[in-house]
Amino acid sequence: MQSYWFGDVSEGRCSPVAVDIVAIVNRVLSLSTQMDAFIPPDWQQAVSCGVCSDRADYLVRLQEVCITAAERSVREHYAGKDAELLQMVRTLDEMDTVINLLSERAADWYMVRHPAFSRKYRRTPSHILVRTIREKSRGALGKVAGEIEQLAETRTALAKEVSARANDVMPNTSALIGGLVAARLMAHAGGLLPLSRLPASAIQVLGARTALFSHLKTHTPSPKHGIIFQHRRVHNAPRDLRGRVARVLAGKLAIAARLDYFRGITAPEFLEQAQNSIDTAGKGNGL
Amino acid sequence: MIWIGDVLVSLGEGGVYNERMLGSARIWEPYRSKLAAFYHVGKGVELVPSLRVLYLGAANGTTVSHVADYCEVVYAVEFAPRPMQDLIEVARRRRNVIPIMADATRPETYAPLVEAVDLVYQDVAQPDQASIAIRNCVFLKPGGYLILMLKTRSVDVRKDPLIVFDETLLALEEAGFTVQESVWLAPYHQDHAAIICVKPEKPGE
Repeated sequence: MQSYWFGDVSEGRCSPVAVDIVAIVNRVLSLSTQMDAFIPPDWQQAVSCGVCSDRADYLVRLQEVCITAAERSVREHYAGKDAELLQMVRTLDEMDTVINLLSERAADWYMVRHPAFSRKYRRTPSHILVRTIREKSRGALGKVAGEIEQLAETRTALAKEVSARANDVMPNTSALIGGLVAARLMAHAGGLLPLSRLPASAIQVLGARTALFSHLKTHTPSPKHGIIFQHRRVHNAPRDLRGRVARVLAGKLAIAARLDYFRGITAPEFLEQAQNSIDTAGKGNGL
Repeated sequence: MIWIGDVLVSLGEGGVYNERMLGSARIWEPYRSKLAAFYHVGKGVELVPSLRVLYLGAANGTTVSHVADYCEVVYAVEFAPRPMQDLIEVARRRRNVIPIMADATRPETYAPLVEAVDLVYQDVAQPDQASIAIRNCVFLKPGGYLILMLKTRSVDVRKDPLIVFDETLLALEEAGFTVQESVWLAPYHQDHAAIICVKPEKPGE
């Protein structure tokens, strides 16, 4: 017997399934075909099934079913709690880029207006400089500096939201590495499910693409860490131990991501044990 | 194929992706579409109104909309939700585009929807492109065509594109296909090759 979207065909006879589009879509999405015995559907069978009147009608009905099914699949895909978090993180990272670019540009512009001005030996943080530019500049430059400050404010608010959302969506990963970095890892993997499927070694170098490919292609040293470098226990570790801390941390993150995806709640015992082994790795005595 | 001078076009409702028009014809830009590039650098398969097409890796429906202008029906398979939203919109305006949100590596999930087709067109960014094509040729009629847009960089970035190309040709021939044409899509697309195969009339011979 062959199961098609319009019905089951057995020995040349076709028995129709539901007429209702929702029922047809439900069935289509649940069918799994044995490919070795598969024969593609024929529109004439659908006519004999009474599902449609002719070829044109077959295509109209089929398109209706497929559009409905595709719309539902898209909706289901976006219903996951990680879908919006992913957009939030990417927006956050892009805002950082934009803020930096605009700040640099505004500073260059300001220096043209003030030939004696230099940033050397001044340790002025970028946001203070932007404020100075806003206060001291007329016209568009002042406005641009004002916009940069606005953007920076929105960015701070967004970062808080990302962090809070990550604590909710991926509690274990966030507990190990912080909400922001956890969300970045998830965004780089393309979602919580893809992240939970990654091996620890891949998580360790997520975000170090250039270094990884240059290693694979030309045998430069392999990257020790990607995004997880942003975590204090990696970047605060002594240089010779960073690789080890990154490796151990990535191992625990791989487990945490799986807990987050499949369980969705905090696993205190795992977290305690994981924190201990990461701490041990950072102290430099044996594992 | 329809050419106005040396410009490839298709005839259909315009404004799908702000494509430029030549009179009432839609310009099919070779720098944008790999299939259009293929018609510029190679011979390709003549698209005619009777053709039924299975299109794997439909993306936003840009190239799909041009193929649909030429052919009877296009079964457009795409896995990612974001481009699928655009593809659904294209399908709403083009009655002969059937959008299917599924993974082209798993034909068993969409087999009940796809009839026997005259042409399988594949443009997917996956490492196992030859095996995806071979698996999807259950839908291809004997004597039908397979157009494979080989993204050599998706197969293995470390490998020389020429080697990837040769290995793919070999895999297709081992699966019983006759390779009819194979060209690189330079200067329009880098490290991309187009391969046309014919499925034998009687499988296994």
